[in-house]
Amino acid sequence: MSRLLEATNLNAAYLTPEGREVKAVDDVSLYIDEGEILGCAGESGCGKSTLGNVLALTARPPLYPISGRITIDGQTISLDRENKVPRTWRGEVVSMLPQGALNSLSPTARIRNLVGDVMKAHDAKMGKDEALDRARDRMKELGLPPRALDAYPHELSGGMKQRVITVISTLLNPKLLIADEPTSALDVSSQRALVEMLREMLNQGIMKGVIFVTHDLPLLKSISDRIAVMYAGQIVEVASAETIADNARHPYSTALLNAVLAPEPDTLVKRVEGIRGAPPSLAKPPSGCRFHPRCGLVMDICSAKQPAPVGTDLEFACCHWTAQHPDQVIRVEDVLARNDEVEE
Amino acid sequence: MGLGRYLLRKFLWYLGALLVALLLNFFLPRLIPGNPVDALVGRLSQGGAGSDQLQAMHTQYVKEFGLDKPMWQQFFIYLGNLAKGDLGTSFMQYPASVNKLVGDALPFSVALQLPAILFGWLIGNLLGAIAAFKGGWFDKGAFVGSLFLSSMPYYCLAILLLFGLAVWYPMFPQGRAYSLGLTPEFSFTFLNDAISYWWLPFLSLVLIFIGGQAVGMRSMAIYELGSDYVNYGRGLGMKDSQMVRYIFRNAMLPQITGLALSIGGLVGGALITELVFNYPGMGSLLFGAISSNDYPVIQAITLIITVTVLMANFAVEVLYGFIDPRIKATQGGDKS
Repeated sequence: MSRLLEATNLNAAYLTPEGREVKAVDDVSLYIDEGEILGCAGESGCGKSTLGNVLALTARPPLYPISGRITIDGQTISLDRENKVPRTWRGEVVSMLPQGALNSLSPTARIRNLVGDVMKAHDAKMGKDEALDRARDRMKELGLPPRALDAYPHELSGGMKQRVITVISTLLNPKLLIADEPTSALDVSSQRALVEMLREMLNQGIMKGVIFVTHDLPLLKSISDRIAVMYAGQIVEVASAETIADNARHPYSTALLNAVLAPEPDTLVKRVEGIRGAPPSLAKPPSGCRFHPRCGLVMDICSAKQPAPVGTDLEFACCHWTAQHPDQVIRVEDVLARNDEVEE
Repeated sequence: MGLGRYLLRKFLWYLGALLVALLLNFFLPRLIPGNPVDALVGRLSQGGAGSDQLQAMHTQYVKEFGLDKPMWQQFFIYLGNLAKGDLGTSFMQYPASVNKLVGDALPFSVALQLPAILFGWLIGNLLGAIAAFKGGWFDKGAFVGSLFLSSMPYYCLAILLLFGLAVWYPMFPQGRAYSLGLTPEFSFTFLNDAISYWWLPFLSLVLIFIGGQAVGMRSMAIYELGSDYVNYGRGLGMKDSQMVRYIFRNAMLPQITGLALSIGGLVGGALITELVFNYPGMGSLLFGAISSNDYPVIQAITLIITVTVLMANFAVEVLYGFIDPRIKATQGGDKS
């Protein structure tokens, strides 16, 4: 398998009205192989969506990329504050899949008009009919009714709208698709249909890789090949979905995944204990490991020194404790041991 | 429910509204205290006529105007005349017919306001849209200027313009619509003369209209600029010029209503502007009629206003169905 995405040392910040910079993506490096779905998890405000925007090259004020390099399928781009990105990269090289329940489609334009415009933006010679034929074929391949192209957005159901958006996002066969919470407004059966469609598209080679950002941890476990866990603007752990679920190497991952209820006989009486406190303000992140104020396995070094990643590009964890205890399993009780001290 | 039935139902609604308005138009002026004939005869008495003569004249006028009949009878006579297209005879400018008075005044009001509304709408919307796109200093300047203009009362700007451009630096004549000695006609001399009088009231209206439209359009466009579909379109690599089309179409919707309603209301005349500039339009006519209880004139003008406003509203509702698919769906009874 060859490498699809190499994103190294990405930095991006929000500019506050007072002129201060709040770093929401802090020195993040991320790698994806061809054919992979990488899930991205974390509490709200951890920078998941921001990272998605930076990778999809759609950052816009007040969010500014600061530095970093993105190589997708051999093509490289350097990020800077100027944010000058070749327009045709968007949609062709990397494309975004937004949440369809948001007004991602203009209410006064038919789907086919958007399809025509998107195609025309990338190939001035392409006629409306040709663009429409391509979209119609794509719809048929994926088992969607082509007449949905003639509809206005309000005439489609939520699930259909999301699938139509997915088709539009991938019309130009982008190498990498950044999906930002595409399932969060859908009922469970529509979620399933969408996830299956994404897999199908990946198998057909319509796109070569997907980054899937969501709050929905069970869904993430089922769809992702690997999962990246973000905390306070940094990736704290990347590992295969099974490893993260059963044997995470970062205490935050352990605690986060513990918040998921599995439908088992004792679920009714089980008390789920979450991680107390909230992610730190990105304007003033804690020293050393950013999770140390909430972590039960905290050691002296944790507040002093930022932990270096241990592992490979594709699977690593940034934690002093696991670096010192490479063979021990992290126990949830230990991570949550300090819950009593941490202020809500 | 088909579009035809929808239109029919709407039409019936508007017909009902028109009937109610007719009743109010007729009875409300007659509830104003004071008798128009008293005022008319009182004016004549200054001419030195004797009291018997005045009495006879009073009776004569009351009979002539039909004011001796019960109110409901008067109403039906009014409706009958209306059906023949006869708006009646003015009391105060007896024996001038109301049709003629309105016919004289309406062209001035329309000539003054229609260009003001159209230009103001066009320029205001462009200005607002450009301000929203450009941002920065251009936006700040345009926004503050527009806000200032749109919140300024008409008469203030009118008086300032009058002072500035007619008194202090006399570029334009003060007041009236054409030079004394000329009569309104379609000749080069008259039109050339009238246009110099037209500028000031036009400016006072158009500036304020530009301000109001620009403020509205700017906030609509800014709202649309930040919307999800713009973000998505950018993420798909669409060109700015393509995005602008989408944004414009959505931001325009409320503005079109505004335009239609302004056009509907324009026949009522720009009352205060016309008074300030002593302009012989519908506003001046209505003002004079109200202050002298000239029922037929008041009735006629309020009727014309009612009809045009209703027509404009109806037009907006029909037009909206064509430009906003969401409304078409509701009109046609489709899934909404």
